Amino acid sequence: MLRKDLRLELRSGESTLALLALSMLVLVVLVFALDAGRVRSVDVAAGALWVAMVFAGMLGANRALLAERDNGAIRGLLLSPLDPGTLYAAKLAAALIFMAVAEVGAVILMVLFFNLEFDVSIARLAPILALGAIGFSALATLLSAITGRTRGGDMLLPILAVPIFVPALIAGVKASAAALAGVPLDSMGQWLKIMVAFDVLFVTAGYLLFEHVVGEN
Amino acid sequence: MNSAIRNGLGYVTLALMIVALFMVFDYVPPEAEQGIAQLIFYFHVPLAWVAFASFGIVAIAGIFYLWLGDKLWDDLGYAAAETGMVFCTLMIVAGSIWAKPIWGTWWTWDSRLTTTFILWLMYGGYLMLRASADDTPQVARFGAVIGVVAALDVPIVIASVRLWRTIHPAVLVTKQGGHGLEDPRMVATLLVCLAAFTVLWAWLLMLRFTQLRTRSRMSALAVRIAFADAALSDSK
Repeated sequence: MLRKDLRLELRSGESTLALLALSMLVLVVLVFALDAGRVRSVDVAAGALWVAMVFAGMLGANRALLAERDNGAIRGLLLSPLDPGTLYAAKLAAALIFMAVAEVGAVILMVLFFNLEFDVSIARLAPILALGAIGFSALATLLSAITGRTRGGDMLLPILAVPIFVPALIAGVKASAAALAGVPLDSMGQWLKIMVAFDVLFVTAGYLLFEHVVGEN
Repeated sequence: MNSAIRNGLGYVTLALMIVALFMVFDYVPPEAEQGIAQLIFYFHVPLAWVAFASFGIVAIAGIFYLWLGDKLWDDLGYAAAETGMVFCTLMIVAGSIWAKPIWGTWWTWDSRLTTTFILWLMYGGYLMLRASADDTPQVARFGAVIGVVAALDVPIVIASVRLWRTIHPAVLVTKQGGHGLEDPRMVATLLVCLAAFTVLWAWLLMLRFTQLRTRSRMSALAVRIAFADAALSDSK
């Protein structure tokens, strides 16, 4: 499992780059759409960051399993003694690493584009974004195993994933906006609790349900 | 036998609907403050109940399908998702028509509205998945997984959205113990409407379920015929 992870990571220099580029483009679009140069709103910056994250995450999840499908490797993996839960964990870890890299890039760009300061409030974003990334990767990894095998799958992934991700999205945007406004982490406990609950639930659900979606027939 | 129950349900639906319409438009007094718009309530609440019941069935059928693998459960889940979607859409439309005169807006991002809308999106996704794929056991498993995942998400959606904002009127029983329906005729009308819509829903669900069952059986039969043909041509 670990070896698979590392192999994926090494191979995917281009995919991480694509994620970064996509996050950047989303931020650029939002800067123009919201005329952010003049507004300079902390709320807008937090929202933009999460939009970038959702889009980048979607792309990452689509790619993570695509690599396995292209050369039929998924069948080999299923025949190997790995149980589907472990396979899921490996895929989740890979998606998470991609997202983490993209997020670090997106945060730096956000600070630059929205005229924010690099200070402690940016550091407070880290746990919030990490929780969001775990939840999103957990969900997207499970769902991309589904959508990757249906017609029009690339379109279906966001249609299925985004509504389910909404609670973590609400909590994440609220917590991020609060963090950027200088609120310390311990006074946004409720939002963080929702994100933790989401993460625990979907990592567990993904682990248990993955065997039902990767099996042949 | 089955079709007798189905037809019976259809007639009961018709009769109850006529009674319900009569009660709503002629019998029940409109609520003093909201006037005639409040009558929508008698459709909105039953629609909401059957929509949520359908989504509950999708989740339960999903669990049973993953557990037992019987196609019956998948057909039930699919039928429930479709009927649920119809009623959920009607509920949102009815609520919207009520909200315009009462809240002064068609839509607002209140917690219950948001939760319902998110549910609607989730099951819309479920149906899009089913529509874009063939009816294989694999797709049935996909549907079951999504049904289960969506149901798991509901409590978190409710928690997060409630923390976000709420203005929806309390559902039936408020903390003070009153339920806002002062007149016993209102309660009676609501109960009749609930019964009418529940029967209508059960009828539609059953129709669709039977249809899907027939389709599953026919495709199973087609597979057997194909095998039999192959066996015959082999032996020649």
